[in-house]
Amino acid sequence: MTRRFHSRKAATVEHVSETTPDSSPRQLATDARDRVRFEEEALELSDQVYQVARRLTGSREEADDLVQDTYARAFRAWRSFEPGTNLRAWLFRILTNLNIDRGRKIQRTPDSQPLEETDYFLYNKLEETTGDGNPDERRVVERLSQDDAVTALAELPHDFRDVVLLVDLADFTYSDAAQILDIPIGTVMSRLHRGRRILKRSLAESAGVNGE
Amino acid sequence: MNGYHFDPCEKCEQMMQPYLDRVLTDQERAEAEAHLEGCSYCQRRYRFEEEFRKFVRLAAAEPMPPELKEKLRALRTPL
Repeated sequence: MTRRFHSRKAATVEHVSETTPDSSPRQLATDARDRVRFEEEALELSDQVYQVARRLTGSREEADDLVQDTYARAFRAWRSFEPGTNLRAWLFRILTNLNIDRGRKIQRTPDSQPLEETDYFLYNKLEETTGDGNPDERRVVERLSQDDAVTALAELPHDFRDVVLLVDLADFTYSDAAQILDIPIGTVMSRLHRGRRILKRSLAESAGVNGE
Repeated sequence: MNGYHFDPCEKCEQMMQPYLDRVLTDQERAEAEAHLEGCSYCQRRYRFEEEFRKFVRLAAAEPMPPELKEKLRALRTPL
């Protein structure tokens, strides 16, 4: 019977192997080739890693440091990546763990304001104030400011923001986001739901359409 | 007079985000699509939610500085 060394399919980064198990010349050559390929594949994903890092942090400099730390750690831990599994998810797991490690600012009290009853809240508000009985949806969205959206994302409670960024910006599935953040899939869904609504509420407020 | 302000189509609303996230079962998706086809209220909201997602994505996107890309390349293990 084959003994299973990996109990989980997705490789974790906690167990970093920095030694070569077999140091024969042939093994070393194979290792070097695998490592180069791993590093190149990881680098191809760097734009996506940066995009999320930039929104997890308050400045370009912090994002720059976080991305460099992520790649330094990924390159050191490359052996713990199991080929054939999701490299992108593996990298984002390092990114989000490092972001927590770097002591992101103490979170203010988690958002406890009641959410709007309807998910269509923002649209309804925007439509009401457009003054056009039949507005084009694209034009309604164009009334929103991109700067306000960036501010609203930055102000999202961190637990919600992590999920919103992974799913809405980085296009991860609920299941990948759950693995990356090490939380149950139901928690991903509830944080996503709440995070998106808070985002919409903030945008409605900054667009000056809340309750006016 | 258009009546859609008074008809929130609750079920469709519940399905809207999971539909856009493509996580509905085949049966749920078929139900959502059947409803969407015949309901102008939900069609408009569907288009809005779709546009809103694109907007957030565009707003959040910031290209990686080229210098950072170089720094990352320098982190590779020397051969």
